[in-house]
Amino acid sequence: MRNSSVSAETGRFSWPQGFAEGPANRDALLVLTGMQGLTPRAVVELSERFGDASGCLVAVVAGRGGSDADRRHAAGTDPRHVRATLEACRARMVVPGTQEYPPGMLALPDPPAALFVRGTPLDQLLPGVAVVGSRSGSSLGRDIARALGRGLAASGITVVSGAARGIDGASHEGALLVEGGGTVAVLGSGIDVAYPQRNAGLLARIEASGAIVSEYPPGVPAEPRRFPARNRLIAAAGIALVIIEGAAGSGTLITCDHALGLGRPVYAVPGPVNSPLSEVPLKLIRDGATMIRGADDLLLDLGLAGEGSDGQLAIAGLTSVEEAVLAQLAGPTLPEHVARELELTVADVVPVLMQLELRGVVRAAGGRYERCLPG
Amino acid sequence: MYGRVTGVTLVGIQGHPVVVEASVGRGLPALCLTGLPGASVQDARERVRPAVESAGLEWPLRRVVVNLSPVDLRKDGPGLDLPIALSVLAASGAFPKEKLDRFAFAGELSLEGTLMPTPGILAVALSAWHAGLAGVVVPRANAPEAALVEGLEVIGANTLAEVVAFLRGSAESGPVVVTESERADPPAGADLAEVRGQAQARRALEVAAAGGHNVLMVGSPGAGKTMLARRLPTILPSLSREEALEVTQMHSVAGVLGEAALVKARPFRAPHHTVSPAGLLGGGSGLPRPGEVSLAHHGVLFLDEVAEFRRDALEGLRQPLEDGRVVVTRAAGSIAFPARFTLVAAANPCPCGFEGDPRRPCRCLPARAQAYRQKLSGPLVDRIDIRLTVPRLSPSELLGESDGEASPSVRARVEESRERQRRRYAGTGVTCNARVAGPRARREARLDAAAEDLLTRAVERYELTGRGFDRVLKVSRTIADLAGAEAVGVAHLAEALSYRPASDAELVRVG
Repeated sequence: MRNSSVSAETGRFSWPQGFAEGPANRDALLVLTGMQGLTPRAVVELSERFGDASGCLVAVVAGRGGSDADRRHAAGTDPRHVRATLEACRARMVVPGTQEYPPGMLALPDPPAALFVRGTPLDQLLPGVAVVGSRSGSSLGRDIARALGRGLAASGITVVSGAARGIDGASHEGALLVEGGGTVAVLGSGIDVAYPQRNAGLLARIEASGAIVSEYPPGVPAEPRRFPARNRLIAAAGIALVIIEGAAGSGTLITCDHALGLGRPVYAVPGPVNSPLSEVPLKLIRDGATMIRGADDLLLDLGLAGEGSDGQLAIAGLTSVEEAVLAQLAGPTLPEHVARELELTVADVVPVLMQLELRGVVRAAGGRYERCLPG
Repeated sequence: MYGRVTGVTLVGIQGHPVVVEASVGRGLPALCLTGLPGASVQDARERVRPAVESAGLEWPLRRVVVNLSPVDLRKDGPGLDLPIALSVLAASGAFPKEKLDRFAFAGELSLEGTLMPTPGILAVALSAWHAGLAGVVVPRANAPEAALVEGLEVIGANTLAEVVAFLRGSAESGPVVVTESERADPPAGADLAEVRGQAQARRALEVAAAGGHNVLMVGSPGAGKTMLARRLPTILPSLSREEALEVTQMHSVAGVLGEAALVKARPFRAPHHTVSPAGLLGGGSGLPRPGEVSLAHHGVLFLDEVAEFRRDALEGLRQPLEDGRVVVTRAAGSIAFPARFTLVAAANPCPCGFEGDPRRPCRCLPARAQAYRQKLSGPLVDRIDIRLTVPRLSPSELLGESDGEASPSVRARVEESRERQRRRYAGTGVTCNARVAGPRARREARLDAAAEDLLTRAVERYELTGRGFDRVLKVSRTIADLAGAEAVGVAHLAEALSYRPASDAELVRVG
């Protein structure tokens, strides 16, 4: 975080002295991180009994932890080879005890023993603000995420998210709209795996302007079971969590639980009460999460700016007809509804709506029209 | 012992005169057919003799040779039963031959000697008229159809016996002479007024009807896409007499004419998405038969669930959409069927059908939804000027909606604007905005300054391609024509932009 007024939380956890120091320990981590049967928590427990990373690896090979598959992995993995594949994808390994290892991770009961990173050094980016939401977000939700990401990045705050479709991708996009805007994508797959595939272009831009992070070495495929673990890193990398849209039972709630467990404040952007995508944010607001309308509200609450989001719906330079039509759009509205209220015909109203759409003020959504977010 | 009768065979939807000659000579009793008879004509060998005997007439117990000339033209269809029977009877001297030369004969015979309703009679009558004959003798049921050809004497007969009585000149049991008695107007069925709500869709259909534009409707199941499409024919301009004759001829050949003599309502064809390319475009073994695209000639072809149609069937629509006709090639030859129709395609927004629905979440995997959207793009959608989103209305949105305008008054505006277009394109072979080529469309748009400015911004914002640009101009020209305006103004152009089909780029970006 470039903004000095936000202080990083001091970690509660600490790795054993010299856990990752020296080439031998680093080589051991290159092997340990690729073990499918070894959860981060298991690595923590091993480190408590066996000291440094090399000790942990020896213990696994000796059968004191991990699975048979992990021992086969240890026997078949050459650290030099892993290093080469890391170099091939311009990635590096960041280990505890170094300047770049994010202190926020140490607030986790099961911090990652190592992180793989591509792009800008993490200590220049983190902590940031985590922004998550539904993968099948509505176009309104994606607008909100984009505006939020942009607003945060413009204030020098890094946007942390998961590079997924929908809200995640839109919040990264928003941050990238700002010249030099910082954003961090945390992957649930190997550091060299672009998932979802169609976000490969987005990931390349994130790498250029911010950083991509994963606790998995190259080659680990994207699998749903790894996403909850990824979500804890997103929550830990932010000083706060913002939730935009989420249907009941979505992974958004997992990230939220992690944030609450870490003591991070949770913010939610409300949506229409009849939309299934509003279920998570509205429930969180009922349960005490802070309601925000956009980046300005969040910046105000974090003590970073004094504006708030009031008055953001006013738009300058509209004709009186455009004003009148716009005033009818509370939620997705049929053009004939607007026409009836204003005693016009549909053929009168549709051209006005189209011109407003061209100005980026409204948007067509499934035969109805709704307001866009400014910015 | 020789007899000679004129019949007609069908090639595509056109009739071709066939001279049916019979020779009765020495030999064992047999009927031999020569002159490239198709399978259904070969069958006549077995049908004709019982039919003649049932009529109380004598079948010559000698060797009979029937030749169908020209011998290099393949003959198909049951309409040659009657001329074959008559040629044999003429050869054996059952009646005088004077009247035979003045008429063409067509009709399928039953073993009992009755004349069955036969497909393609209008084409037979037209062909007889072109051949300079005085009249036709056809099954009674088909007589009104034949009577649509002006200046042709039409004799409708129920049985072979009646035909023979007519040829013998005996009046008492003679057949009926039919004059044109067009069927009454089709019962007022569908009307645009029955569609509740959906004002934007109704307006878009009006624009489509006025300019002859093809339409793609995207909407959730139950939104009313089919109901809307069915009502498009009711607001299209009334069929002219020439158009009506073309449609009738087509439906007659295909055997779907039903009770109608002259089809007066624009056809509405809605083939199921499992239809084969041959069913959609025309084909079949032997001589090609018209497909759904031709049955929709001068009407509306509605493809519900368009993404579910076979790819090869959809690809085949390209030719009729471009040329207004479809050429079907089979072993027996290739035939062009007219197929100038308005295409209305309907699709769900995604495989589950609920993307963009505010009250029900979409449950589609993104890759499948993407693949589905891409099926909707491509060559077919390139030929669709108007894309329309039909929302599923909530009860509260439906409540308080007054009934819409009735079809006749919408049609009046449509016809007025068509008249304006006809005058503009007089002498160019084009009759409506949808069929105008790009350069001409650009010239005729006559945008005012404010509209020019809007168009420039729209091109940037929506990344309009050259074709997309032309489509918007054509539709805006139609909207201006509906409003009676010389130049295309901002409002016309803006409305046209709202019907803009999503470009491929947008399809990829969505979701």
